Amino acid sequence: MNFNILLGLSVIVCLIGLFFRLSIWFSQGIRPSTPSHKSNLNVGSRMSAAIQGVFGVIFSSRILLVLKSIFVDLLFQKRIFDKSSLRWTAHTLIFVGFVLLFFMHALGTTVSDSLFNDYQPTLNPFLFLRNLFGVMVLAGVGIAVFRRISLKPQRMKTYATDWAALVFVGVIILSGMLLEGSKISSFSIYEDMVEEYASLDEEEARALEAFWVQENGVVSPNAAKPFDAELIEQGREVNSDSCIDCHASNRAAFASFAMAKITRPFSAVLGDSASVTLFWYLHILACLSFLAWLPFSKMFHILAAPVSLIIKRVTGDELKEPANVLNSQMIGLSACTHCGSCSIECSSGMFYETFQNDFILPSEKVQYLKKFAANKEHDPAIIKRMQQGLYVCTSCDRCTTVCPSGINLKELFVSSRYSLLDAGDPETTMLSHFSFPLALAQNFVDDHVKALKKVTDLFKNNFQHLTDLTSPITLGKSTTVVNNSYKGCFSCQRCTNICPVVRSYEDPTEALGLLPHQIMFSLGIGNVDLAMGAQMIWSCSTCYLCQEHCPNQVELCDIFYSLKNDAINKIEAGGSS
Amino acid sequence: MKYAFFQGCNIPIRIQQYATSTEAVLNKFGIELIEVPDFNCCGYPARNVDEKAYLLPSVRNMAIAEKMGRDILVICNCCFASLQKAKNTLTKDSKLKDELNSFLVKEGLQYKGCVQIKHYLTVLYEEIGTEQIRKQLVNRFKDLNISVIHGCHILRPREITTFDDSFVPKITEELLDTTGVTSLDWRGKLECCGAALAGINDELSRKLLKEKITGAQTAGADFITPICSYCHLQFDTTQRNLDGDKSSDKLLPVLLYPQLLGLCLGIDEQRLGIEQNSTINADDVQRIKSLLGPPVEEKKKRKKKAATAA
Repeated sequence: MNFNILLGLSVIVCLIGLFFRLSIWFSQGIRPSTPSHKSNLNVGSRMSAAIQGVFGVIFSSRILLVLKSIFVDLLFQKRIFDKSSLRWTAHTLIFVGFVLLFFMHALGTTVSDSLFNDYQPTLNPFLFLRNLFGVMVLAGVGIAVFRRISLKPQRMKTYATDWAALVFVGVIILSGMLLEGSKISSFSIYEDMVEEYASLDEEEARALEAFWVQENGVVSPNAAKPFDAELIEQGREVNSDSCIDCHASNRAAFASFAMAKITRPFSAVLGDSASVTLFWYLHILACLSFLAWLPFSKMFHILAAPVSLIIKRVTGDELKEPANVLNSQMIGLSACTHCGSCSIECSSGMFYETFQNDFILPSEKVQYLKKFAANKEHDPAIIKRMQQGLYVCTSCDRCTTVCPSGINLKELFVSSRYSLLDAGDPETTMLSHFSFPLALAQNFVDDHVKALKKVTDLFKNNFQHLTDLTSPITLGKSTTVVNNSYKGCFSCQRCTNICPVVRSYEDPTEALGLLPHQIMFSLGIGNVDLAMGAQMIWSCSTCYLCQEHCPNQVELCDIFYSLKNDAINKIEAGGSS
Repeated sequence: MKYAFFQGCNIPIRIQQYATSTEAVLNKFGIELIEVPDFNCCGYPARNVDEKAYLLPSVRNMAIAEKMGRDILVICNCCFASLQKAKNTLTKDSKLKDELNSFLVKEGLQYKGCVQIKHYLTVLYEEIGTEQIRKQLVNRFKDLNISVIHGCHILRPREITTFDDSFVPKITEELLDTTGVTSLDWRGKLECCGAALAGINDELSRKLLKEKITGAQTAGADFITPICSYCHLQFDTTQRNLDGDKSSDKLLPVLLYPQLLGLCLGIDEQRLGIEQNSTINADDVQRIKSLLGPPVEEKKKRKKKAATAA
């Protein structure tokens, strides 16, 4: 009775959760809000696009790819296998063990009963297999815990929810074993079984009891070891006559049999039936709360990751329909297990160390993007860091290649990058070579130009320019430029004359503010601010011709680099208003 | 000889043919390349933003190679310069070395400074040598005009890269000469492709690129051979995005050096990934192959020429 109420409750919570998570697939999405991307993609049109897409696949040869995906990606989990055999072992142990326990044991009365006409949970192989599967899951959980701890230095982030998932799975299995262990040693259960299935005279009863205490781990208040060997043999015979057809040896339940050692003290204190009830509640509550928790946690990947993997296999990340691009974004986000594979392989890992920004790691970006897609993140400081995290990316696409859930991270990050830049503060890292692959890919070209203008304007407004000066230029007091080779400049203008950038403009002074030799000159008179404000440093192609040709070893290009660093620092330190 | 193969971020995802053709060529001479999945970005993209952020990634890469006990072989010029710059800076600044090592120690890594950074051209030129290369040629090009663009960051600043004479580079030229191609003298050979400004100042970046394309075409180039992976992407990808220049027959097709040498060494064009260059079409490939001839005959002709001239 109690069980049915609890089961009903957890199923209802689970269904509500599933509805909630599934509705996100078709209602949220990430992309810049500029007019060129605006279209009316409501839930209805998103769902119909998805259905059309699915039918388009079902009634075409691509259905073969779906079948392939089911075997290769879902059952064999090739994407994990390709990257790490240890992870694959852990995941496979948990996945296989848990799924088999779920069908054979949790749904035993429906699944096992209909598959095997002689199914009895107390008979082998079921008794043994239940323990084997349980141990498999525990071994997998053990490896997963080890992995999370040992990979911490490799920038693996673990949240409370990650531990919670592992603990949940572990507790379900352990509590199951404890329950079975307490049943094994329970004398009242033994008595019930004898009463129900056997009709024995007193001597037979004594022999059987001795046998069960000796061999099957029952703790009897009457009988105590050591027993007479003859009595045991007699008990074995009774056991063969009356029990063995429905109950194999408890030793086959090897894990639970060992667990009985732990449960015995509980039975001793609480009494054995109370102890069984206690562990029953523990096991049932663990299972049912896991069921209720599932859709709200990363365990939702049980549903989302297969969908995401099939989409990847079928479309190869090339989705044309805008509605389906958004659908696949949201399916992807919900399929993330925060396994950290992407962050461990992230080429920007060292930038995470120097910038001290979690959002540089792809796995952390994904956690944030869930909030962002739901429009739940409004803290400007966090948004600013996220914007930097999205931009400090080498576009090497390793994260997308490595993701075991097949999430198209690349697309998600490009869309969210421009989505944040669109609304956010100017992003100073745009003025770096992180922009190169973006220019190459030609995605969101207008959005890029618009965001770039915000940054260049910021620099224009924050530094003084030669043309703005009304009073005569005077000697500055000090300089912060570390590289002081500029002191060797004697204004021969070789640098300016050889510069391919200067050559590119009809009126270079207008376009570049200061020419290379003039920048050296402003450093010479101690006016670093003027040098930092020159457009020239941002237009420098870093070809090093000036530096190479300088007759007096002035390291112009290197000085430009440090001026750029300092200018960005100054802007960031002063807030970006 | 075995090297830790540093491919950087662009090559594995955008220019796989550069890696496969380089490996195929080097294997011919008994040099093995070990892929190192643990390598990260060289740091170059962060150079405008922060000096330490720029240096640290290269220091980690070098520490990984030191742990493997291998020197690093690099393809990309910008990666090469970043690694050399990090090595050079830390040799001079032991305080910074300690500071950057403190980031690595968490992962059980330490940069000591014993690893050597080698560009693949250096390995071809110094370790194998043009003589050895010539001996193994099965083909040689005739009447193929190439404009090579050396790329800035392999040559300059010369104190850091220590690759070649930065004013009159000879390594690349001599290596090209082994294949029999004519390396044209052209404006832009030693100049910037514009890659460093892409995404920051696209107008200027493209102007610099167009200048190089026209320069090479005016000089009569059949193909352009970029050494740097950034130059390659400028010519092979950005060139196709340039406005008003969309018809493919006007494109200046790209051929990488290991692809040229690979054909002369008799390596299959599929393996060299020639058709993966997006500016090349099937006709181009046929044309290149038709210009291949036996290497010995060519030498005889030369001798004859020399004899008649004398």
